[in-house]
Amino acid sequence: MPDPILQPASAVAAWTPVATAGLSIDVRDDLTIAGIAPFRGKAQAVSEALAERYGLALPAACRRISGDDITLQWSGPDQWIAIAGRGAARDLEVELKPLLAGPAAVVEHSDARAVGVFSGKHARDVLAKGLPIDLHERAFRVGDVAITHANHIGVTITQTGNEPAYEIMLYRSYADSFADWLRHATAELTA
Amino acid sequence: MRIACPHCGDRGLDEFVFLGDARVTRPMADAAEPADAFHAYGYLRMNPAGPTDELWFHAAGCHAWLVVTRDTRTHVIASVRLARDVALELRAVASTTEDASA
Repeated sequence: MPDPILQPASAVAAWTPVATAGLSIDVRDDLTIAGIAPFRGKAQAVSEALAERYGLALPAACRRISGDDITLQWSGPDQWIAIAGRGAARDLEVELKPLLAGPAAVVEHSDARAVGVFSGKHARDVLAKGLPIDLHERAFRVGDVAITHANHIGVTITQTGNEPAYEIMLYRSYADSFADWLRHATAELTA
Repeated sequence: MRIACPHCGDRGLDEFVFLGDARVTRPMADAAEPADAFHAYGYLRMNPAGPTDELWFHAAGCHAWLVVTRDTRTHVIASVRLARDVALELRAVASTTEDASA
């Protein structure tokens, strides 16, 4: 008799088999993510409320900022997302809704996204095969965010470390397609 | 061709979708000759050899609507503005004109 209790399946587990020397893939199944959409003219009020609570203001376009217990990331015109570790059942939607009830709409995003961090000496070369933007350090630095595509799959890429390390975030239902592309992009490393 | 998105910066054409002439405006339902007005709105387009305003959508990026001023002879882009800003400008001009005529 199979276990009748449903267990969550990892959307990003299919990314890790191509990890190899020079390419680490750290899947992030442990995140709580909430979308923040300030109402018209209320971005400043949202920023101040967040600054008071977490010590972080809303970042500028194409930027991410991290504090001790929360990360704020631009996610489009007049939109941001907040990211944190889920830890002991932390839920950013529940946490932020009362704080921003007046000036913004707060929406649960955690299970909508697949997230992984790519690092190591081959990380940039592998991602550059699919992403049409310039990832060279003179063009893309730590804290930079780009909404673009990887082999036609919409992704948000953020440089999270100097090694370099890049976080890739995409819609969960595209995680398998991304894994397929990743297998081709890393074939020269894993052969 | 590359388009400098006001939000995202310089991006390749593969991230954008072309949506046509940015100068056409939808007629009001009570226009004097509605059939003619909507026919013109739906079908009649200029085909200029020179600068033209076009609507582009940053589909694989930030999802902003843009008004791109492009020379059809050279593909040189003179300006890229947010369609929202252009629409708000037009609305401000229209309300000023109404005030003046009132």
